[in-house]
Amino acid sequence: MIEARNISVAIGGKRIVSHVDFTARPGEVSAIVGPNGSGKTTLLKALTGELAYTGTVTLNGRDLSAMKPVEAATLRAVLPQATALSFPFTVREIVRLGLIGGRSGVLPGEDARLPERALARVDLEGFAGRFYQELSGGEQQRVQLARVLCQVWSPVLEGRPRYLFLDEPVSSLDVKHQLIIMNIARDFARRGGGVVAILHDLNLTALYADWIFVLSRGQLAAAGAPQDVLNDELIEKVFDCRLKVGALPAGSVPFVLPQSAA
Amino acid sequence: MAEQSIAGAGRVMTAEGDRSARARFVIALLCLALVLSVFLSLTSGASDASAVRVIRDWFTGSVPVDAALAARDQLIVYDIRMPRVLLGVLIGAALAVCGAVMQGLFRNPLADPGLIGVSAGSSLGAVAIIVLGTTWLAPVTLALGTLALPLAAFFGGLAVTLLLYAIATRQGRTSVATMLLAGVAISALAMALTGILIFMADDRQLRDLTFWQLGSLAGATWPKIGTVGPVIILALAAMPFLSRGLNALALGEATAGHLGIPVQRLKYTAIVGVSAAVGASVAVSGGIGFIGIVVPHVLRLAIGPDNRYLLPASALLGASLLLIADAVVRTIVAPAELPIGIVTAVAGAPSFLWILLRKRGVIDL
Repeated sequence: MIEARNISVAIGGKRIVSHVDFTARPGEVSAIVGPNGSGKTTLLKALTGELAYTGTVTLNGRDLSAMKPVEAATLRAVLPQATALSFPFTVREIVRLGLIGGRSGVLPGEDARLPERALARVDLEGFAGRFYQELSGGEQQRVQLARVLCQVWSPVLEGRPRYLFLDEPVSSLDVKHQLIIMNIARDFARRGGGVVAILHDLNLTALYADWIFVLSRGQLAAAGAPQDVLNDELIEKVFDCRLKVGALPAGSVPFVLPQSAA
Repeated sequence: MAEQSIAGAGRVMTAEGDRSARARFVIALLCLALVLSVFLSLTSGASDASAVRVIRDWFTGSVPVDAALAARDQLIVYDIRMPRVLLGVLIGAALAVCGAVMQGLFRNPLADPGLIGVSAGSSLGAVAIIVLGTTWLAPVTLALGTLALPLAAFFGGLAVTLLLYAIATRQGRTSVATMLLAGVAISALAMALTGILIFMADDRQLRDLTFWQLGSLAGATWPKIGTVGPVIILALAAMPFLSRGLNALALGEATAGHLGIPVQRLKYTAIVGVSAAVGASVAVSGGIGFIGIVVPHVLRLAIGPDNRYLLPASALLGASLLLIADAVVRTIVAPAELPIGIVTAVAGAPSFLWILLRKRGVIDL
């Protein structure tokens, strides 16, 4: 369980996140949604210890601020929005970096094959020998996800759940890979781990999230199960858009929803 | 696929994208190259002394026919060439490894101790001793003797690095961009102060300074190696422990932290190690440029940027190249010799520009 109480973050004197309570349970996908600038990434960075915060964050009951980097690394892995490199690493070398500090959870002898297995999971089989810098943005994002998966390959280690923090994991992906990645996240949760993901696509959120946190101007606007949170009133209040939840488009306008894949 | 990467009889074949086997092969080749460079360096020079005969005599314990000639050769090989070769190995390795470590730290293939002012700080310390050693700083030189120059260079480099670190660190985080830019400013200041000292220098000091500033291994003696050798060896010995952390740092400081790397400790260790090794190098050999940029860059093309292999390979190639360059400067205008910094700059500066042209955007902060 990840529990955060009364989290506030100020950057350069400006308060970006104020007094947010957040809980992510193992076995669930917890989504953070909200408009641009509402503090989603800042909250995630506080939860992963990347930014200084006031309040408390605990991972499996232990205070995050008291953990050494290597201890935190065995409990959770973090996927940033985008990662640029200035050195010519191959895809395999990048994915292998996931094995540096944490513990994948597989048998020692199997670690060597883990990069290939992780790449296959994110639909990048055969990319191991390519140079990371030569890939497209979406492919790079999936390489990074494969690296993150290596770090916490087993969702549960020694009886303790582990967590994936994903900052907009599908933002630059085509629809097929959006579904692949979200299925990986759901699968990680089904096997006992916890997932915290910042998402923009409300349809994907409704489809995959077990619990939604809605941020607005640095504060928690709503939290709950998708069917309880996503309603016309909230969409208008938080996103400043008059949209109808569950309404079909008029006439012959085509629409494609990820829900139809399920 | 993974199954294909496991060959029969349990022998693991190289997986696609895994360059570690190639890296180990290159390192083996570089070991051989270093042995050859040492041999070349021991056997070449202004005198016709035969290192081969000296070494053979030493091994076989045989009594030489011409005792006077043998004694002269022994002197040249033991007291002139050997310390010079050893110094070349130490300094070439130190400069190349420090370059690679700085580049990993700054996540920038053009970062170099020369670039952020460490070398400039060391130079200032050393020049202060050369020019003011008989006047204002006479008590220092009297107290420390021959150690005054290397110590001044070491502390000059360390002072710059610590100052940079203090300027660029806020709330426990070091901003690489600030450090790089502050380094440019501090470099300029150190060079200006050095300029003032040079202006004050007399003719004899000027010649010392010029030669020393251009870089040279000519001052190699056993006592000097005894002074700076341990510093360089200690600093170099610490570097392999940083390689995993530096690899993770390629993904950014935040991600390295998420991977379990104690980033602040890593940066601190790297900075102290680099300033110690660079300070010691500058103290005995002056400003030998570009080894720290060109060697790691060439090796990254050959074996990739994995620091577990890049650091030892840089040490080996840096040492070999400096020995070869030194052999060139000792023989090309014999019996005189060129400052080695000229050779490394003539070869290095175009390589630096070539890197810059090929990789536009690498200095984006």
